[in-house]
Parts: sequence; C-alpha cells; structure tokens
Amino acid sequence: MKAIRLSFIHMLLFVRRDMMLLAACLTPFLAGIFFRFAVPFLEKILINWIGTREVLAPYYGLIDLFYCVLTPVMFCFIAAMIILEEHDDHIESYLCITTLGRNGYLISRIVIPAAAAYIITTILLPVFSLTNLSITEFILLPATGTLQAIITALLIVTLSTNKLEGMAVTKISTITILGALIPYFIPGKIQYALSFLPSFWSGKAMQSQKPAYLPISILLALIWIYPLLKKFSKKIS
Amino acid sequence: MRLKSLILWDMKFQVKYGFYLLYGILTLLYLLVLSAIPETWRENIAAILIFSDPAAMGLFFMGAIVLLEKSQKIPCAFAVSPVNAGEYIAGKVISLCVIALVVAAVLALAAGAGCLPYTLFGTAVSGVIFTLLGMIIATKITSLNQFILWTVPIEIVGFVPAILHLFNITPAVLRYYPINTCMDMVAGRKVTALQLFLTALLLAGLLIHARKCVLKMWQSAGGIKL
Repeated sequence: MKAIRLSFIHMLLFVRRDMMLLAACLTPFLAGIFFRFAVPFLEKILINWIGTREVLAPYYGLIDLFYCVLTPVMFCFIAAMIILEEHDDHIESYLCITTLGRNGYLISRIVIPAAAAYIITTILLPVFSLTNLSITEFILLPATGTLQAIITALLIVTLSTNKLEGMAVTKISTITILGALIPYFIPGKIQYALSFLPSFWSGKAMQSQKPAYLPISILLALIWIYPLLKKFSKKIS
Repeated sequence: MRLKSLILWDMKFQVKYGFYLLYGILTLLYLLVLSAIPETWRENIAAILIFSDPAAMGLFFMGAIVLLEKSQKIPCAFAVSPVNAGEYIAGKVISLCVIALVVAAVLALAAGAGCLPYTLFGTAVSGVIFTLLGMIIATKITSLNQFILWTVPIEIVGFVPAILHLFNITPAVLRYYPINTCMDMVAGRKVTALQLFLTALLLAGLLIHARKCVLKMWQSAGGIKL
C-alpha cells in the first residue's frame, strides 16, 4: 500500500512539474461552467440567429454525457502519457520488480486517477448538468465515463511501443468515445452496427432517456477492459 | 541530395510508426462522416476536417517525434553531421505535408470541393504553419504532457477564429488574420494579395524562429553545450 501511495505521489510530482496538474484540476470546473452557463447562452443566440425553436437543446443530454467523460479521459490520458514516457525510459520494468509490482503499478497509474476522476465528476455533475437526471444517472453516467476513459488509456499504452505510436493510437482510441454521437445522428437499425462500443449505449441512454441502457454500457466496457488489462500486464512483465 | 534523404527517412519513420495506416483509417472515417451529412454541409465540414486534422497533424505529432528523437539521442548526431537546421525542418515539414495533401485531396474530392488546387495550396500552407509551431514548442519541452498543454492555446487561437470565419461569424478585418486566410484557401475561396503577403510574413517569421530553436536544441544536446 505504501509503495502504491509513493508511486502515485511520484506521478503527481511529475505532472505538477509540467503544470498539467493545475490544468487537470481546473478543467472539470472550467468545462462545467462553460457547459452550464455558456451553452444555454449560446442556445439563445443561435435561436435568434437561425430562427428555430431549439438548436442545441435536443443535445443537452449528450453534452452532460461528454462532461461525464471529460475529466476521467483527461486524468487517464495524462497517466497514459506518463506510462509511455516511463516505457521509453525503461522505468516501468524496474518499478514492476520492486515491492510495487505489476498490480501496484497499474493501480497507481490507472486505477487511482480514474477513481479520483469518478468522484470529482459525481460531485460536480449535479451542479453543472443541463438535464434533469435521476440519482441512478448521477451515479451511473460518471461510471460509464470513467470506464470509457480507462479503455482509452489502456488502448494507448497497450497498442503502442513508444510515445510516437502512442500519439497515433490516441487519435484512434478517442474515436471510441464518439460512439455516443451515433444514436443522436444516425437513425434506424444501421446505428446498431456500432453497438459494440460502450459509448454507444451511454449515448442511447441519454437520447432515449432510458437509464436501463447504462448497465449495458458498463458491462460492455468491462468486457473491453479485461483483455486490454491482461495484454498490458503481459507487456510490462 | 541531403534534403531528399532527410525527407525519405522521415517518411520511412512515419510509415514505421503507423502514420500512413492511421491516416488511412481516419480518411475512411471522415469519408463516412461526409457521406452521412446533408450535401449542403459537405464543403464546410470537409474544410473543417482538412484544416483541423491533416493540415494540423504537425502540431499534434511534432512533440512526440522530437521527444522520441531526443530519447534516442538523434539531436546529438544531427549536431555533428553536415545537416543544417533548415534542412532538418524542411525534411519534417515536407514529409508531413505529403500525408496532409493526399488526405486533403481525397476529402475535397469526396465533398465535391469547387477548386482543388486552392484547397491543396491552403492545406500545404496551413500544414507548414502548424508543423513549424509544433517544432518550436517541441524543442522547448521535456515531456508529452508538457507538449499537449502548450499546444492547447495554439489550438484555440488557430482553430476557433478559423472555424468562425468559415461561417462568416467573425468581423471583416479578421480575414487578414493569416490562419483565416489559410481556412479561406482550404475552403476553396479566393484570397487577396495582401492576405497572402501577411501569411507569407507569418511563415517567414515562424521559419526563422523554428531554425533558431532547433539550433539551440542541438547545441544543448545531451545536457551539455556544444
């Protein structure tokens, strides 16, 4: 436990040096303020400009969903970048043979930032949400966002062998988040072609206002995470 | 001859690290997006896609490219080789522009863009500007997170006015803002000589600064001053 704590603090110090810690701490608040206040203001301007009854309002659920993904993705992305740096410098192999171990390394680099992001998002979502969400949604939506962020981070660190490949994989892995847009913009049964993406079911839950889809998203995310986790463990051993 | 070798090696490097595969996948995805949206939106959406991704790829990847080179001690080798900073920069810029131009051509053709040469010229100029900006930042940073943080203000200043300008939401005077001129060209719109002149001035300034930054990076390679 002490080793995990020290390893996590080491990562925090590394991130603080880059000013990324400050950015990561401010982002949930700045994005929340933007989503909660600037988006409705923008909606008023757009309604006057275009002359329709609503422009952005039908997508408020989607904006809430992206708010739930934003902080976890940012925290996990920062962690993924650090893992890539440590991989290039061959530090991770050394860390894994210390008392920290593979599991400790994984917990300090992925699990703790993801858990912190979940807690922050769950606290801030009721303050900044644009739609009327139920208590179940306040708990499950940040969970789907956090699991999505873990998938993104694991894809980056598993599929790349250095930081350059990591940046290339980042572009592809962020596409998995965009599955949430599908239920909103692709009508008909063809949309189910992308139902293998956990984000698709989160988007579906918000679009159809049926929170029952959220457990499907969580289950699917866990199915994605398991093989990625195994592959990452094998990679760092 | 040296420049040709640098470009070819940079292209091999990009093939090895999956840039071509990545942009193959992304182009397919963008084509799907373009085919799914109404025809009246296509030209503008294609312009945004071209401007924000293939044209700006240098800004996104340059940090990782330079950091990887630093970790492999390549700047030390360049510092003592006959290659000069200008050739090094040109190698990176031209090799990245090749990918950007191919992707831009495919997307512009798919969107039925009016003037392909304009779009390609705009993509090339935007590509050079963003790659030089990426290079300037990359020479100063020590980690990927630092690079990503530094690029955020540049992305805001680069993308937001250009996208607003595309939809004619910005004041008329902002058409002289070089980034907006680039967006005009990517969208296949004609630009004035003054707009081109101001863009050329920005390019020249960035080139001189990038050269200085690369020389500084080489001179302090490996923790010592050469």
